[in-house]
Amino acid sequence: MEFRDYYQTLGVTRTATADEIKKVYRRLARKYHPDVSKEPNAEAKFKEVQEAYEVLRDAEKRAAYDQLGPEMKSGQDFRPPPDWGSGFEFRGGARGRGRANPEVDAQFSDFFSSLFGGGGAFSQAGETRARGGRDHHARVDIELEEAFRGGARTLELRRPQQKPDGSVDLSTHAVKVTIPAGLTDGQQLRLSGQGEPGQGAARAGDLYLEVHIRPHDLYQLDGRDVTVTLPLAPWEAALGAMVTVPTLGGPVQMRIPAKSRAGQKLRLRGRGLPGDPPGDEYLQLSIALPPADTPKARAFYEEMSRELAFDPRANLGS
Amino acid sequence: MTTAMRTVETQVLSEGEWLSITQVCRASQIDVAVVIELVELGLVAPRGNDPQDWQVSARELARLRTAARLIRDLGVNVSGAALAVELLEARRELEVQLRALERCMHSGAGGD
Repeated sequence: MEFRDYYQTLGVTRTATADEIKKVYRRLARKYHPDVSKEPNAEAKFKEVQEAYEVLRDAEKRAAYDQLGPEMKSGQDFRPPPDWGSGFEFRGGARGRGRANPEVDAQFSDFFSSLFGGGGAFSQAGETRARGGRDHHARVDIELEEAFRGGARTLELRRPQQKPDGSVDLSTHAVKVTIPAGLTDGQQLRLSGQGEPGQGAARAGDLYLEVHIRPHDLYQLDGRDVTVTLPLAPWEAALGAMVTVPTLGGPVQMRIPAKSRAGQKLRLRGRGLPGDPPGDEYLQLSIALPPADTPKARAFYEEMSRELAFDPRANLGS
Repeated sequence: MTTAMRTVETQVLSEGEWLSITQVCRASQIDVAVVIELVELGLVAPRGNDPQDWQVSARELARLRTAARLIRDLGVNVSGAALAVELLEARRELEVQLRALERCMHSGAGGD
């Protein structure tokens, strides 16, 4: 596995005080927090920062980490030393304090798990009584088409698992999840018993999935309704026309009434996301002007300008 | 690394679904005291009279989870988290509207 330079991640020197580290963490956490940040790769970056802080905030973990030596560089191949964890005296349950959160820890790197994961000297002590597993959460991004049709999705979930020899391995388990048709953005799915396994005979936690529908190039989603901008030629808007419009279920023919205006909305009932009731599709009309880039097109515009008494600024009152 | 493949039952928590306060605390990993504070601040509106009988709409679980993450990860206090969640939602709505307007202007002005 690859070595991680936690000092470099936070951008502090190896001699930084606990207070400095905390300040830097707070600043970076605010910058990259996935709920708040607009930075690209915010989530990955936030996890790196969180992982680094999880080690450097804790005097014991930091001291142990420092023993790995200052000559190690990020990305360098790394194996935990065989005597890792020995020679330290740990307070029991060192990670039970403050922010430490097993759900978060499970997302840390293999490097972190191998040094500080469950089962080793740094794991929580005295937690062997039967305890129900915690609920886990994951976010699933789906395409709008998938929300419309439904489908199956295979999720790879990683969780630290203790091996018989006491070392920790990240096990990947794949679950096949049915995405029902007609999910809306932000909807929650619950997968019973797919969270953290319970200890002893205790029940496993549940896995909650928060579904997000990715923005679509064509359709704009609002609940179950979708809106499409439909460009019309000026004569189609003025005279009416039959046009082919896209819907999630495939193209349909639609009548555009005469005297349509830009900004008007037409509705196709029941053509949004399925549900009870299903959503609608709205067509927001816009008028596209033909370019005046040939002599013939220019002649048409000139003729209109002569023949039509049209003042587009009549309402400006000037 | 070991890989095991399973198909599991998926339960949709629809808008009409309500979760008990115990489920909510488990799922969002926050203390019941924090949930009570967030309710007092108006971030979520549970039904039921006493906190132990409260039920929270599945829709609002996401708000509680976001608030919980902000409190845990950024060290903001409960009112700060409630405010941030509301502002984040408002920002998201504005972004959707902005996208729609940009698209509308683009297709109207560009003509392509």
